[in-house]
Amino acid sequence: MLSRRQILQRASAGFGYLAFAGLYGTQAAEQSATNNPLASKSPHFSARAKRVIFLCMQGGPSHVDTFDYKPQLAKDHGKGGKYGGSLLKSPWKFRQRGDSGLWISDLFPSVAEHADDLTLIRSMQCDQPVHPGAMTQMHTGTAQFIRPSLGAWTLYGLGTENDSLPGFVSLNPPSGSSRNYGSSFLPAIYSGSKVGRASRFARGGRGESVPDIKNPVLSEKQQRIQLDLIQQFNREKLGRESYQPGIEGVIESYELAFRMQDAMPQLMDTSNESQATLEMYGATGGSTESFGKQCLLARRFVEAGVRFVEVTHGNWDQHANLSVDHKVRAEACDKPIAGLLQDLKQRDMLRDTLVIWGGEFGRTPAAQGSDGRNHNNKGYTTWMAGGGVKGGFSYGATDEHGYEAIENKCHIHDWHATILHLLGLDHEQLTYRYAGRDFRLTDVHGKVAKEIIA
Amino acid sequence: MAFYRTTAILLLLCAALPCRADQLTADELRFFETKIRPVLIRECYGCHSNEAGNVRGGLRLDTKELMLIGGSAGPAVVPGDVEQSWLYNAITHQDFVMPPKRKLSPTVIDDFRQWIEMGAPDPRASNIVEIRSTISEADVQQARETFWAYKKPVDQTPPDVKDIHWPRTDIDRFVLAKLEQADLQPTADAEEYKVLRRICFDLIGLPPTPEQITFFTEKWENDPDQAVSYVVDKLLEKKQFGERWGRHWLDVVRFAESTGREVNMTYPHAWRYRDYVIDSFNDDKPFDQFVQQQIAGDLLPAKTDEKWAENLVATTFLAIGPKNINEQNRVQFAADLVDEQIDATTRVFLGTSVACARCHDHKFDAIPQTDYYAMAGIFRNMTTYFGNPPSDFGNFSAAQAKQNSSLMILPIDDPNPYDKHYTKLELQSLRDEITEKMGEVKQLRRANMGDGNAANAQRNRIRLNNELATLSNKLAVVDKNGIPRSYCMGVQERRSPTNAKLLLRGEIDQAAQVVERGFPQVLCSVLPTIDNQSSGRLELASWIASEQNPLAARVMVNRIWQYMIGQGIVTSTENFGTTGQPPSHEELLDHLARRFVQSGWSIKSVVRDIATSRVYRMSTTFDSQSHQYDPDNALLWRANPRRLDAEAIRDAMLSISGEINSDRPRGSEVAQAGYTRVQGGVLGNPRDIARRAFGTVARNSRSTRGMQRGRMDRSLQDVARAVTGQLDQENSKFRSIYLPIVRDEEPRSLDVFDFADSSAIIGTRESSNTANQALYMMNNRFVIQQSNVFADRVLQQQTTPTKQLEFAFLLAYGRPPTSGERSAATAFIRQFAPTTSYRSRGQKTMSAFCQSLFASAEFRYID
Repeated sequence: MLSRRQILQRASAGFGYLAFAGLYGTQAAEQSATNNPLASKSPHFSARAKRVIFLCMQGGPSHVDTFDYKPQLAKDHGKGGKYGGSLLKSPWKFRQRGDSGLWISDLFPSVAEHADDLTLIRSMQCDQPVHPGAMTQMHTGTAQFIRPSLGAWTLYGLGTENDSLPGFVSLNPPSGSSRNYGSSFLPAIYSGSKVGRASRFARGGRGESVPDIKNPVLSEKQQRIQLDLIQQFNREKLGRESYQPGIEGVIESYELAFRMQDAMPQLMDTSNESQATLEMYGATGGSTESFGKQCLLARRFVEAGVRFVEVTHGNWDQHANLSVDHKVRAEACDKPIAGLLQDLKQRDMLRDTLVIWGGEFGRTPAAQGSDGRNHNNKGYTTWMAGGGVKGGFSYGATDEHGYEAIENKCHIHDWHATILHLLGLDHEQLTYRYAGRDFRLTDVHGKVAKEIIA
Repeated sequence: MAFYRTTAILLLLCAALPCRADQLTADELRFFETKIRPVLIRECYGCHSNEAGNVRGGLRLDTKELMLIGGSAGPAVVPGDVEQSWLYNAITHQDFVMPPKRKLSPTVIDDFRQWIEMGAPDPRASNIVEIRSTISEADVQQARETFWAYKKPVDQTPPDVKDIHWPRTDIDRFVLAKLEQADLQPTADAEEYKVLRRICFDLIGLPPTPEQITFFTEKWENDPDQAVSYVVDKLLEKKQFGERWGRHWLDVVRFAESTGREVNMTYPHAWRYRDYVIDSFNDDKPFDQFVQQQIAGDLLPAKTDEKWAENLVATTFLAIGPKNINEQNRVQFAADLVDEQIDATTRVFLGTSVACARCHDHKFDAIPQTDYYAMAGIFRNMTTYFGNPPSDFGNFSAAQAKQNSSLMILPIDDPNPYDKHYTKLELQSLRDEITEKMGEVKQLRRANMGDGNAANAQRNRIRLNNELATLSNKLAVVDKNGIPRSYCMGVQERRSPTNAKLLLRGEIDQAAQVVERGFPQVLCSVLPTIDNQSSGRLELASWIASEQNPLAARVMVNRIWQYMIGQGIVTSTENFGTTGQPPSHEELLDHLARRFVQSGWSIKSVVRDIATSRVYRMSTTFDSQSHQYDPDNALLWRANPRRLDAEAIRDAMLSISGEINSDRPRGSEVAQAGYTRVQGGVLGNPRDIARRAFGTVARNSRSTRGMQRGRMDRSLQDVARAVTGQLDQENSKFRSIYLPIVRDEEPRSLDVFDFADSSAIIGTRESSNTANQALYMMNNRFVIQQSNVFADRVLQQQTTPTKQLEFAFLLAYGRPPTSGERSAATAFIRQFAPTTSYRSRGQKTMSAFCQSLFASAEFRYID
């Protein structure tokens, strides 16, 4: 007797496609197989990174207090700033780290231990000085229109490598931000699947992180019998109608869903991770627990073959109370991020996993009030690690105080072009025809920052 | 700043930026350069300039235009008027305190006073005088005369066809002629149960009942044409028709009950527009009237107050768009609002995107940038109402809801069950509370001057403002006796219309020449005149809804065609321009458009024409030769297999289980919640909702003996679901059109099946098959509950297993099972039944079986 899975496989990869092949011969059958929009696709050229973990720091972490060392700012502390206000030196000490000697502040002591794996991009720019606009531009390239997100473009370009999980996962996205992981005019299958809410990660336990992931009534055995019936009805219908991609889609979706029922909770359940691993991420309790769990999940997702995972850590918007609140935010994520880098490295995954860290903009060198900084979109820092970028490298620079990028400027379009490039995708070739014209993530802009590639 | 001065708002919106003459005298220039500019740079640019990346309070002071435009409070500088200049107010530490830490020296302050009084001479002016269009009048004329969509539809004689027996209607002749040209044949008619299922879902969004099936089958055997025509006429009269077709319209007009975006505030009165749309479709309101009401209902004559109320509610169309009410700059907000209204109006009614021309000429479609600002001139002369009225105490903006708006009072009394009455006592206590909190705010401001703990004070101020906003909103919607007033959203014309200025790159501080109010030229064979005293909106509405306009009728019949056939004659339903898709059957489109107008713009008659055609009755049978020639089925050699949309899937489950509540609920979940911010997927305060839900659970459990642990856990789960699932409405039995539509928080039952993004104008929905949908059909509580009721119905009405099986199939698919399905079902029962306990065996097995019928592909496809 055939196993349920074999039957399903025959149904999705065999029956329908075979019926189709009978009509058109094998060439058409192959074409039909590539019609699966999530099938893994070859990149445009040899890729350095196979997958992405994007650590999104919502609210705008201050570059001059974290990764952009400005000795002149400390010297000129209290003097008038370029655009008014008085310059505020960072409350945190910067030190040279690792063999490379990258300057990183004491806000990120654990991440700093991985300095030799990081490329700091200290010349970021975007066009939007306020949060919603800048967040949207960081994710989609524009704040003006509704456009597909970076993750959706990636999935469109590369497909996915797992067949039990969605290809683009957004963990804990802020509510009302669906546009930032949406697919816009790209087929809906490329949009990010939202997984979980922050409050639940902190609460611990399994929780229902994916809606309707578990049947509240039927046992697994009963559900298997039921699913066999559903699929048999579907195959009957497909048989009657000889060629119907929609029904093949339904059959595949049930197959994936059934596997997801096992795979998702298993993936979300971190109880089989060693105590050492949990501690490495800071996922055992305290202020690092929530983000630590999410970073651990991110690793579990990419390890399972998910193409693009985004994790959000919010509330970096310190117009006031910088010295206290920035520290609280950093503490909650420093250890988890370091743990993630460490874990990827020890699993030999860092070399082809691109880890990206960054907020929608940075903050002003001049003070707002006595202990705060304002938004600064003309110059700020993001960093990348793994996935083919240089380690211990610093790219671009802001002016002496950190107001504005002046050297090797990296606009958000350039940043997008570079990320796609590392994934083996040419940002000018990755297009989608919509409403009569070809669209790109980078619109008519974008220059790959080739210097950062190892 | 919590209170807005209405005068400041009006001034700002109406003012056509009065600027000093371009030539400054040497003295004026010196005064500015030595006494004003250095202070601005030193003291203000840090927080109020582009270079610093800062726009505190939405205010920028680094260009002349932006200084005059001002920030969230109003214009920073009004030349010649110190009293109206917020900049002066701030540096003299009146309502604002700027610079924040200290006061400028009296000399500097006096310099600013002098400067403003001398007319605020400012050399920082940009030199934009006039933007010359890259699109010439000849270009426009050529496009108008040559592009198919810009030419008026003309009466078409149906073509001759070889197979004279196939066609039933003119539609068939147009389609068949094209097929014959391509040497293709239309497939055979579909079986009668498929035809009926198609008609029922397409016309009223519900599956046929067993009685309807029997009736139709008998009639079909005698005369298929008559059977179809009879059923179509019956269904067109049902009130479910409006619920089905109204929902299509709500997709197109981006209907939703909240602002969306970062700060998501509810629209508690949007449901009136929803009901207006449903009624309009049921009444078969002439489409030209329907259009005019929505664009200019406030300007139409009305004989009765009821008609007037209807006209006002119709203008909600212009007010329900998504809004960034967190925008700090009023001028920017106003410009974005007008932009959204132009975009919606042109794409919804004209299938043309004019909003593209906001920033530059739209070369492809010969729409110069001036056309956009000609339309902006029409829309800028009205006030849009989408918020909550101010109370006697003024208008309080809750944190982050920077852009306030009021509502319109309906001329008739039309309360809904959620409108609250207050007793005299309650009213007084509301007022007392407001007075008390306003006192606290004042105290806070005074205390804050010396105290260093600014963060704390800030937090308190935000909290107090939020509380004040809530209280004021309650007070504002009742009269002085505590009786609720009836409101609606919409627009009202302002007096003394003014033209808009063209903005370079669409940037509000880059104003160029004034553009006369007008319409997109490429669509007008005769340019309409707009009276000086009128904004032109009424003229626009009449022109759009007229035969003078080449697009309105085409765009609408094309949508109707798409909803029934599966793809539009023009597949880009909201883009009939040169970047859209050309029509597959141009003459047919013209024919339908002309019929539409000649029938008095009757939507029902177009629906009837299509439903009674032979084309509509074709089967979906696949044919490899035809497919090779025409893989997209553009020529319609068969019917398109279509996946049901989200509402039809949910409504069909309710209908088959028999639990459907076909009444129309008054208001909606959002109306009940009132004017509030949506956070974490919950309307209003999650704690209150939990408390209410817990009360219900506790009451229910008291009736049983004790409270066992399992039951307790389940009860707590129910409470949690009531909070987090508030907007999912899993227990609702109303038709799906009545579910709450909060932007970014659409109910899961709809969202999962490609519901239209309620922030966008959607003429064509996605049609995906995802794992998420599979999980929903397998595990969702609503689906399981409906399967249980479906099973009960089957078990109660039929006694033998064979009859039960057949009845279930008839309800779900409108037909008996095939032999393959029969044996699959038998095998299922044999396997499944032993896994259940003896007592509940029959029910459990039947439920699981019925759920399989819902879950399978056949259920969600119309073939």
